[in-house]
Amino acid sequence: MPFLIIAAVIAVQIGADVKPVLVFPLYLAIVLLAALYQGRIDSYAAAMIAAFGILAPFIARGDTSADAAATLLLAAVLVVVVAVVHEVVARIRHDATAAERKAIEVEASEERLRITVEAAPVGLALIAPGGAWLQVNERLCVILGRSRDELLHMALVDVTAEHDQTAIDEALAMLRTGGILRWEAEIHQLRGDGSRVPVEITIASVSDHPSGELVMLVQETDISARKRLDGLRDGLVAVRHTILSAATWEQAAPQLLSALCAHLDWDVAQYWAVDTDLQALRLRQGWHRDGTALEEFHNQSRRLSIASGDGLLGRVWQSGVPAAQEDLSAATDYDRAAAAKQAGLRSAVAFPVMNSGTVTGVIEMLTDEAKLIENDLVTMLSTAGGEIGQFIRRAETAQALRRSETDHRAIFERSPIGIARISSEGEMLEANPALLQMLEHDFPTMRSHAWPDLLRAYDQAAARSRLEPLLAGITDGKSVQVRAGTGGGNWLWLQLTATSIPDSSGRPEHVLVMVEDVTVVREAQDKLGEALESQRSANITLEKLDRTKTEFLSIVSHEFRTALTGIQGFSELIRDGGLEADEVRAYGGYIFNDADRVNRLIGDMLDLDRMESGRMSIRTTDVDINEVLSDAIARAGSSPTVDFKADLDPRLPIVAGDRDRLVQVVSNLVNNAVKYSPDGGTVTLSSRSEGGFALISVTDTGVGIPPDEIGHVFERFRRVRSGAAQSIPGTGLGLTIVKQIVEMHGGKIWVESAVGHGSAFHFTLPLAAENLTLLQRRHA
Amino acid sequence: MPEASADGNAAITVLVADDNDVAQRLCKRVLEKAGYTVLIAADGLQAVEVALGKRPAMILMDVAMPGIDGIEAMKRIKAEIPNQPIVIASAHSMASDRERFLAAGADDILSKPFRLSDLVAIVAKLTAKPGV
Repeated sequence: MPFLIIAAVIAVQIGADVKPVLVFPLYLAIVLLAALYQGRIDSYAAAMIAAFGILAPFIARGDTSADAAATLLLAAVLVVVVAVVHEVVARIRHDATAAERKAIEVEASEERLRITVEAAPVGLALIAPGGAWLQVNERLCVILGRSRDELLHMALVDVTAEHDQTAIDEALAMLRTGGILRWEAEIHQLRGDGSRVPVEITIASVSDHPSGELVMLVQETDISARKRLDGLRDGLVAVRHTILSAATWEQAAPQLLSALCAHLDWDVAQYWAVDTDLQALRLRQGWHRDGTALEEFHNQSRRLSIASGDGLLGRVWQSGVPAAQEDLSAATDYDRAAAAKQAGLRSAVAFPVMNSGTVTGVIEMLTDEAKLIENDLVTMLSTAGGEIGQFIRRAETAQALRRSETDHRAIFERSPIGIARISSEGEMLEANPALLQMLEHDFPTMRSHAWPDLLRAYDQAAARSRLEPLLAGITDGKSVQVRAGTGGGNWLWLQLTATSIPDSSGRPEHVLVMVEDVTVVREAQDKLGEALESQRSANITLEKLDRTKTEFLSIVSHEFRTALTGIQGFSELIRDGGLEADEVRAYGGYIFNDADRVNRLIGDMLDLDRMESGRMSIRTTDVDINEVLSDAIARAGSSPTVDFKADLDPRLPIVAGDRDRLVQVVSNLVNNAVKYSPDGGTVTLSSRSEGGFALISVTDTGVGIPPDEIGHVFERFRRVRSGAAQSIPGTGLGLTIVKQIVEMHGGKIWVESAVGHGSAFHFTLPLAAENLTLLQRRHA
Repeated sequence: MPEASADGNAAITVLVADDNDVAQRLCKRVLEKAGYTVLIAADGLQAVEVALGKRPAMILMDVAMPGIDGIEAMKRIKAEIPNQPIVIASAHSMASDRERFLAAGADDILSKPFRLSDLVAIVAKLTAKPGV
């Protein structure tokens, strides 16, 4: 284009022969333009052509005039101008291009950043120091469930769960002041639909933003999947922890149900137990977050009985596998649909509590979120259900054991029967209060003294009854009664029943001994026994008495008839007459003697009867027994064959007694001594004081009493008739009467004898203290 | 008449065994008056001895005697002389006693106390010679 203009100008100049000075401005303008707008070569070419155009007329004319020189100068000016202008332009152009390129590069870089940010797998955003969202990436929009526009009108704190808002405010404040450059946390963000999402958030201050203002870069990662897995794991851990630390299901249930809700993010958890009587599921325990609507749901549940196969719970019971209702409003057979709706509950999951393959209960959890029930949750709940079932069984067994233990303890402590626990070695391990009270011992004394005594007494009594010793244990209800002294000095009859308690291997581990105080029963038995015994002996006595009476009658009638034989016979002789006078006198003597004998017999019998029946009283006076003995010797002194000797203690105190009766005793014994000394001999009467008694002896050197008769001399009609004594008369009642009289005075009588050597009858009479003094005074 | 019978009985010996001397005297007096020869024994052993030695026509035997009693003495005598007439003369006179004595072999029983005529009659009956 410049070349054409320059060519046109040359043509015109040549044609019109215009002076170069005149066309020079034209050329200048053209080359300037070329230099401005054309490339280097074009610009220089245009300048050269323009220079030629100016010089052309001069070259053509060969003119070397001054004009020509001026014109050459003009041409040079053209070229120089072009060169200068071109260089200036070129520089300008170069600068402009560099600037432009740089601008393009910046623009491309920003685009790349934007794409990178958008495509990042984490949520990224810029926020103002106050927290307002400046820029957000798509991922963040997804995490927060909100559109970009929506977000850009909000602040970070607006999408943060309430309980995390303070933390965010504080973090931003610190970042603003430069106290920290970076803040990291796990918080919950609120999604557009109102649900909460757990995120890992990092906020860092960014100082070199082109705007020059302080901005903050926010990075968020959705950790709900990790959180859910953590929740499942922590939930199971919490279940196990609760199970381990609790003793009973009742104790564990609230904690366990609330832990499940907390870790798995549910609002309600209920334990439904299988009621085997009703054949239905009944709500046993429940937990729910605060709220009256949930409270009402719980109350509704409480009234329900769910049959196998009915609704969500019934199905779980029937099948034994977990089941879920992700949308309760769509469920047709959910039993508490209305109440659930009222409480805002939207999803439910239920899992069986299993024990040895049997469903013993169902745990149901509900939430107000529309929850997607994942497989791993189902797996976790199945595991938990199994472990809970085992725990419930263990807890119930343990509780039954504890209850049994408590019962036994109560029985042991409060039983009115004494109970002792004895080791297999016989050591007392424990004694209940009743036993200690019964035996009036404290436990140490009981263990160290009373129990070993009791054990010995038991074994002795058992041996007598042909029973095993105590440590062998007696389990078939056999008891042994022993006599035992108490700490208080009483004597009791105790009934002991021993029972072996085997250990798990069946060996006797210890022995339980029941101790009953049967003193009252036993004494009653003994009294009854005594009564029966005395009844029996009374019967025997009666029989004996009857026999004795018959025997007595027989003996008495014999004695009387014997005496009457003489009386009757000789009376008849006298009556029939024809007797000599001396015959009559002799026979009259016989008759008199026998009649006298009969009379004495009757008198003795009556005396004896009065004494034996207790109707005879003794008239007590002071009796000097030595005087009685001396009188007896004086009276009997006439005996031709027997010598009398007295060996009397002069200091013998007087006795209190019936003088006439004592005279009767002494004369009877003296008469006997004389009678049974038919060949003469010595009869000795002695007296002395011995231990508060006067001891009187009548000793003869006569025929003596045979050993087989000595035991009977004091019995009635037991006259010694054998041998040399056979013809000695007597009523046969004398010694019986003597014995009665002595005993009525509180004394005793006995006899020593040897056949052929004589007999010694001894009797005692008690001395009276006042008489002792009296006598001493008299002798003083 | 008593005299006559006394003479007629003089050869007849009667043993009176009794420990009671009054009874001995009475029996002796009455039976001698009746013409018998009377032997006396004061206890059982003596009675056996006299009976076996003297062979009395009959024995009047008391029961309650020292040593062996009348029953035992009677048994011993009857063992030697089975047809020896023995009358038990006892003050044991209950019905049971009578049976006991008869069972033991007594030929008759005379209860004490007795009428003298009964004594004489029973001695006469048991000493009566056959055919008289």
